[in-house]
Amino acid sequence: MKNHTHSVEILLVEDNPRDAEISLRALKTNKLANHIVHVKDGQEALDWLFGAGEYVDRDVNQRPKVVLLDLKLPKVDGIEVLRAIRADPRTQRLPVVVLTSSREEQDVVRTCDLGVNSYIVKPMDFEKFSAAVAQAGHYWLLINQEPA
Amino acid sequence: MDSLNTGAMLVGFENRYQCKDGSHRWLRWSCAPVVEYGQIYAVAHDITDRKQADVDMRQLNADLDRRVVERTAQLEATNRELEAFTYSVSHDLRSPLRGVDSFSRMVIEDYGPKLDDEGRRLLNVVRSEAQRMGALIDDLLQFSRVGRQEMRQQSVDMSVLVQDVIDKLNLPVERQQQIVIGPLPLAHGDHTLLQQVWVNLLSNALKFTRHQPSPVIEVGATQAVGLCTYYVKDNGAGFDARFVHKLFGVFQRLHTEDEFEGTGVGLALVQRIVQRHGGTVRASGEVNQGAAFYFSLPIAKESPA
Repeated sequence: MKNHTHSVEILLVEDNPRDAEISLRALKTNKLANHIVHVKDGQEALDWLFGAGEYVDRDVNQRPKVVLLDLKLPKVDGIEVLRAIRADPRTQRLPVVVLTSSREEQDVVRTCDLGVNSYIVKPMDFEKFSAAVAQAGHYWLLINQEPA
Repeated sequence: MDSLNTGAMLVGFENRYQCKDGSHRWLRWSCAPVVEYGQIYAVAHDITDRKQADVDMRQLNADLDRRVVERTAQLEATNRELEAFTYSVSHDLRSPLRGVDSFSRMVIEDYGPKLDDEGRRLLNVVRSEAQRMGALIDDLLQFSRVGRQEMRQQSVDMSVLVQDVIDKLNLPVERQQQIVIGPLPLAHGDHTLLQQVWVNLLSNALKFTRHQPSPVIEVGATQAVGLCTYYVKDNGAGFDARFVHKLFGVFQRLHTEDEFEGTGVGLALVQRIVQRHGGTVRASGEVNQGAAFYFSLPIAKESPA
C-alpha cells in the first residue's frame, strides 16, 4: 500500500499481525476502513509519516485523520514515534490514539506528557477490543472537528 | 595497689598472661589486704575457658545477625523476581489469548451459518475457555501488582470506604438492604489496596449468599490493644472447615466452578494486602452455615484528629 489516490484516513501502527487483523476487521465492519495504512514497526511509521525510506515519494502534507499507535514496537518504539510526531510542526496536531496491551502507569503518564489524545488498553475480549477500535475510529473520523 | 593503699577491702582484676609454650591464659585475681602483716592475700582463678566462651558467643551472634540480614535480602530479591516474573508472564499471555478468543469468534461470525449446532457449541467452548483463562490472568496480574507497587499510607475512613464499595457494586436494592454495617474505626493504610480487600470480601459474601432465602451480610469491627479487627460475616453456603488452611492459597477453591464461579485469587489477594499492612487474616465457617472473614490491622501510632 504505497501510493494512494485517495487520502489515507487511518494509520495503524501495529506489529502483532493478529491484533492488526482484529483492528482492521473492526474498522471494516463499522465502515471506517476505506483508507487505512498498516505499518508494522516504529521505523516504518516514521518513514511513512515523514516521507522517507520506501515512502520517500509520499506527499507528506497529506495526513491521516488519526494514528492508532501500539507502544511495544520493533526498531523504534511507540513512545519515540509519538515524540517525533509531536516534535514536527507538520504532524504536531495529528490525533494519536495509543492502543496497547500495557497498562503500566508510567506508559500512561509518559504518553500523556507527550500529548497523546487517547490511551486505550487492548481488551483481551474480542468484542470489547473490536468495540474500542471502532469507537476510536468513529470518534476521530466522524465526530471530532479538526482545524482545516 | 593504689586501691589497696586507699583502704579498699577487696580488689578484682583480670589479666592475660603468656605461658611458656606461647599460649595465653586469662587469670582473674581477687586481692585482699592483711594490714597488720603488711601483706596482700591474693587468689587467682583461671578464667580462660569462660573468656573464650564469651568471645565465641559474641562471634556467634554477629554471624547469626549477618546471616539473617543476608537471607532476608535474598528472600526479598527472590520475592521481587517472582512478582516481576508473574507480571511479565501474565502480561505476555494476554496477547495470544486475545488471538484465540477473537479468531474463534470470527469463525462463528463468518462461518456460523455453515456450522451445525455441535460445531457452534465446540467453538463456544473454545471461547469460554479462553475467557476463563483471561480472568485467571487478570487476577494473577492483579495479585503480582499488589506485591510490586508502592503503598501510600494515609488515614482511611472505613465506613465511607465500605459504603463506596457497595455503591460501586451496583446492587439491586433488596441486596443492598441485606448488608448491615456496624461502626468501623479509622484505619491507616493504602486506600486503593484496602478498597480491594473490601471489594473481594463483600463480593464473596454476596456470591455465596446468592441461593439463600434470606441472606444477611454483616460488616463490623472489634478493637483490641494496638489492633483493629474488621470482619465480613454471611449466612451463605459457607465452606468445609477442614480445609480452612487452604482458603487463602492462590488458585485454591473449595467449591467447583459450577457451584460458584471464581478464580481462587480473591482471598489470596486479601491476605497479601493485609500482610503488607502488617496485619493478619482469619476465616471460619461451616458448610451451609455461613462464613466469617476477619482481617486485623495494626492501629497507627499517630492518632488522626
